[in-house]
Amino acid sequence: MALEFDIMQRPDFSLLSVKLAKGQHVFAEPAAMASMDTSIELKAGFRGGLLGSVGRMFAGESLIVNTFSAPTTGGEVMFAPGPAGDILHYALQGGRIMLQRGAYLANSEGVELSAKWEGARGFFAGQGLVLLQAQGTGDLFFNAYGAVLEFDVKDDLIVDTGYVVAFEETLRYEVTVLPGLGLGSKAKAFFFGGEGLVVRFFGQGKVWVQTRTVHPFLSFIHPYRPKKKDS
Amino acid sequence: MQAEIQARPSASVAKLTLDTGEMVVCEVGSMIAMSTGFHVATTARQKGSSGLWAGVKRMMSGENFFLNQFTAQRPQQTLLIGPGVAGDVIHHQLHAGSLIVQGSSWLASGPGVTIDATFAGLGKALFSGESVFWVKCTGHGDVFLNSFGAIYEVEVDGTHIVDTGHIVAFEDTLDFRVGKLGDSWIGSFLSGEGLVCHFSGQGKLYCQSHNPPSFGQLLGPMLKPRPA
Repeated sequence: MALEFDIMQRPDFSLLSVKLAKGQHVFAEPAAMASMDTSIELKAGFRGGLLGSVGRMFAGESLIVNTFSAPTTGGEVMFAPGPAGDILHYALQGGRIMLQRGAYLANSEGVELSAKWEGARGFFAGQGLVLLQAQGTGDLFFNAYGAVLEFDVKDDLIVDTGYVVAFEETLRYEVTVLPGLGLGSKAKAFFFGGEGLVVRFFGQGKVWVQTRTVHPFLSFIHPYRPKKKDS
Repeated sequence: MQAEIQARPSASVAKLTLDTGEMVVCEVGSMIAMSTGFHVATTARQKGSSGLWAGVKRMMSGENFFLNQFTAQRPQQTLLIGPGVAGDVIHHQLHAGSLIVQGSSWLASGPGVTIDATFAGLGKALFSGESVFWVKCTGHGDVFLNSFGAIYEVEVDGTHIVDTGHIVAFEDTLDFRVGKLGDSWIGSFLSGEGLVCHFSGQGKLYCQSHNPPSFGQLLGPMLKPRPA
């Protein structure tokens, strides 16, 4: 049975409300619960066995996934991600979707999460080499920093590595510098053009792109930090 | 070029659609996503403007030395651009005259717009706490600006006062001078307003709802010291 849910306050302060029927479950990343009815029961635990948990850890997620259930009567639980930003729902119907590091929020029964080693091309944003893969049939919720725009890729699309939130597994991709340039201008765009590495998607499928990343905010705040005194 | 501003005001981005041969000049690092039919060139100068010196002046105005030029090689190419920190993006149609833009608020402009750093006047700049140069957009076409917080518009007809940290851009039909608020300097500083800009004349003024240094000074002292 599909989850009854509502995503509120999009896109800046998105909040996910899930209404569980008696006997239903929903799984969420630790610390995501904001409030819930007293009829809801919470159980923390490793899911997908030890290997699955360790894999998730490499994909930038926690070892633990919390299980929320409504054993006696239905009730509501609200989830909020860490960063201020958007939440998206994706209905899995036997396909697969890849999530960027830290993007996972919650899922229903029937969705399986695993870490997928992407090799050198997986180094999105210079972070992990591992993406989180969701497959099966059910509801998946993911979150981002800033708003999220959906792109329906028909042939190809280029996205700055730091802005990719999720993409359907029907798409192929490579990590590269901005294409269509000679070698000299390529180097110039990379070092001076500020665009760094981009992901080039091929084929057909959807890509979700966030409109902000945290790094510019950190750079903005850095000069306001006090200076360390010489001791 | 078609433009659509999305996710206003705090996570705003500009989604531009360009046809074959159309070009847009963007702030370095502002590209979020794009179709593959663009030719991208990183340059220190804009077509028709004077080389290196333009780049140096731009750098002094708080913008990057380099610019990225995106030229569509195929029809209906999409380009998504946005600023780094939380805030608004607006689309200003420049018909004639100039728009004076505060240092870091310029995001992108069309090929018919010349962007040049302008000398704000040393006294004005020093006292306003802003950079010595402002970005001056002249010509005909689209200009995209970004802000810290939301952007609001003021149609000045007569006089108007704006805190120096809240200015995004203004039409150059307006005159401005930096000064105190009210009659006395002491009162002006005690009120926490410090320096303000007195605008006079007729023209459009864009202001931002939040002042970046105010937010920085609030958070900074709570963070670990940075290496000297």
